[in-house]
Amino acid sequence: MATPTQTPRMRGPDRDEPEDRAHPLERLGERLGGDGGLLATLARLTVVAITIVNAVLFVPRMVADEAWVGVAVTVLASVALLAVYLTKRAVPLKYLVPGTLFLLVFQAYPVAYTGFIAFTNYGTGNILDKGQAVERIVASSVVIPEGAVRYDAAGMATEGGDGAVALLLTDPEGNEFLGIPDEGVVSLDEAGEVVRDGDRVTQVGDYVRLNLRQVQDRQGDFSDLNVPVTEDGEVVGAIALQTFTAAARAEPTRIYDPDADTLTDISTDTVYRPVEGTFTSDAGEVINPGWRVPIGVDNFTRAFTSPLIRGPFTRVFIWNYSFALGSVLLTFAVGLGLAITLDHEDLRGKRIYRSLMIVPYALPSFMTALIWAGLLNTEFGAVNRMLGGSIPWLTDPWLAKASILLVNLWLGFPYMFLVCTGALQAIPGEVKEAATVDGASAFQSFRHVTTPLLLITVAPLLIASFAFNFNNFNTVYLVTQGGPPIVGAQTPAGHTDILISYVYRIAFESGRGQDYGFASAIAVIIFLMVAGISAYSFRYTKALEELQ
Amino acid sequence: MSMLGTAPGTPDDVRQQEAAARAHRRANRSRRRYWREVGWRHIVGILAIAFAMYPVVWVLSASFNPSSSLAGQQLIPDNLTLENYRTLWETGFPRWLWNSLVISGTAAFLTVLLCALAAYSFSRMRFRGRRGGLLTLLLVQMFPQLLAMVALFLMMIRIGDIFPAIGTGTRAGLILVYLGGALGVNTWLMKGFFDTIPTELDESARVDGASHAQIFFQIVLPLVAPILAVVGLLAFIAIINDFVVAQAVLSTNEESWTMSIGLFRYIDQRYGARWGPFAAGAVVGSIPTVLLFAWLQKYIVSGLTQGGVKG
Repeated sequence: MATPTQTPRMRGPDRDEPEDRAHPLERLGERLGGDGGLLATLARLTVVAITIVNAVLFVPRMVADEAWVGVAVTVLASVALLAVYLTKRAVPLKYLVPGTLFLLVFQAYPVAYTGFIAFTNYGTGNILDKGQAVERIVASSVVIPEGAVRYDAAGMATEGGDGAVALLLTDPEGNEFLGIPDEGVVSLDEAGEVVRDGDRVTQVGDYVRLNLRQVQDRQGDFSDLNVPVTEDGEVVGAIALQTFTAAARAEPTRIYDPDADTLTDISTDTVYRPVEGTFTSDAGEVINPGWRVPIGVDNFTRAFTSPLIRGPFTRVFIWNYSFALGSVLLTFAVGLGLAITLDHEDLRGKRIYRSLMIVPYALPSFMTALIWAGLLNTEFGAVNRMLGGSIPWLTDPWLAKASILLVNLWLGFPYMFLVCTGALQAIPGEVKEAATVDGASAFQSFRHVTTPLLLITVAPLLIASFAFNFNNFNTVYLVTQGGPPIVGAQTPAGHTDILISYVYRIAFESGRGQDYGFASAIAVIIFLMVAGISAYSFRYTKALEELQ
Repeated sequence: MSMLGTAPGTPDDVRQQEAAARAHRRANRSRRRYWREVGWRHIVGILAIAFAMYPVVWVLSASFNPSSSLAGQQLIPDNLTLENYRTLWETGFPRWLWNSLVISGTAAFLTVLLCALAAYSFSRMRFRGRRGGLLTLLLVQMFPQLLAMVALFLMMIRIGDIFPAIGTGTRAGLILVYLGGALGVNTWLMKGFFDTIPTELDESARVDGASHAQIFFQIVLPLVAPILAVVGLLAFIAIINDFVVAQAVLSTNEESWTMSIGLFRYIDQRYGARWGPFAAGAVVGSIPTVLLFAWLQKYIVSGLTQGGVKG
């Protein structure tokens, strides 16, 4: 599709056309306008405009935030987009790049990132990076030493008293300062225009002085207020309010030494060294918070060796396979049975049966899962009231498993019914007739003629259905939330949890805090198993054949 | 099966009587045969429909029942009321519904666009890496996005630190995340359909001087409208059904919740008291999907055998 008279600024490696000598502006116009008609021009202009706007908007903010990965990705993506859309080369790329870009950023990258997190201790207690953790530890060790510098203080705030707060500080020698949280201490002359009522300062720049009552009204803001004190660019302490009218300069008792990478508690002279993301003393004492660091395969070995985790994990693992396999077999058996039953030429009202039977398939599955949870409720549920008992459908370990399979059968049989009906009708009638002529009974004909032909069409769908149910989060989580809980499990694990709901609960719901590292390790294990299923199903995928 | 009636006014009475007697015997036999061959099928069918409709009927009835508690349910309520719908409308439901529609609609539309672009190049162009690309897509769709929920959650928080507009707790952010899963099995489905459009059409257009983009937008796209609709619908249904990715991205901001998050939190642990309004929500919330499904049913049923599994 490449025309020979083009001059792309970005040269492909295999380019050998002669260069065009047209005026650069003309060439640019041609590129922007293209010759693809109005829609194509609009599409191209949109992509180019979005690219430029994105780059201009995002890059400076990311640089300010030191998000270097983001900067690299944005710059590379922008260059690639402009290269693809401003030239006439690489026509297939023009069509592939948009989807691929999203695929890389929101699918491939998260997957790779999951793999990375799996080898770290990321989670509650180790949520920050090292710099943030050190900052937090030092800031929280701040105490007011004896003989500290003390100030008379008055509260101030912008916007006539409702905005950001600051402190008006007077040191023992009578020097006046404005202390602004997160910024520092500045002498009044540098802080802005000072308005005085006699000796009393009433306004500095945008800050107006508050009376005691107003300060008390904003007690929360003022008690949290910390004004950092810097010497030679290093934070050496912080000024905080002691009472509503007095402040003092506090100093940290823990000092971080970046060269030795140690933390020293000056009050006790204990030295802490970093061990697996926490500062630990020689005596084994640790300081919280820790930070996230790679910890090797610990998360994986925990799943298989720690006795309090291994037991529940094994159960979840086994139930995951049983659930997926059971769902496929049940839905297929019922769907096929119904398809055979209703596929009879003399049967009236086939269309009514079919359209009513696929209702479960047409309803949103998250909704029906929640509905079933209500219907199976032990005390008030419709099922129990119909049966006149109080059967613990969702709270007994085995009944809960049965209920989950029942709900999934309800959700899945219409699909199998549709698929099997289609596949049965596609089997030529002559084949069955031939079997009958040869003396085969109805059962023999079904067993040896219909089934093999049916399985050719349906087998790949059964594998796809297995793979889907393997990670069927909605049915499990929205009906039982994984419960009832397995007694004595260290991680949140329930009798109906499958691996993916287990991941979710470890990452987001655990009573002991979130453990992203361990959750990701389980996700990686699922990845490996899904890869196994996929490798198996690839052999059945017809779609591949045309590519060979 | 209509063997009971013989034509009236036959001249030969004897023959008529004999025929009637034969017909009667046959009718008895054929009624038995009817039940053996056809009748039982109706019983099975009716049972299956009872199973399929059981929760649907209960929810419809509960949504109009004056008692809003789970304990007060009857299959046929004493009288009907819209009270539950009114209660529902005072919760966050209207916003959840709107969020769900906006997110699913936008993401489905963009999914169709991204997919069609990719499918066009795979179907019509021959280039290095074409086979590898197609195989990669097949591989990618084996690993659903929800497996990476932890990474997505942390990543969206980081994005939100820098660009609050597309970070955690925003609808735009969630739409972007969903677009990450746009290519995949859908591209295959579309490519298969694109392949059935004769390339002679493209070629004659090219001879007339049309560019590749003109061929795509003005010739191919209108012809593949049915598959665009199917992929759009499948994407819409998959997205409106999603709970876990939406929860990971949106949970921090109640304003942005979708129906799945909102209704789950609304009913969670409170089945006893909130059943009526919840049922009303289930009815209203199902309408968009059911309408779309009814509209595109025939396409879906034929597309099913090609490998679309509902999410």
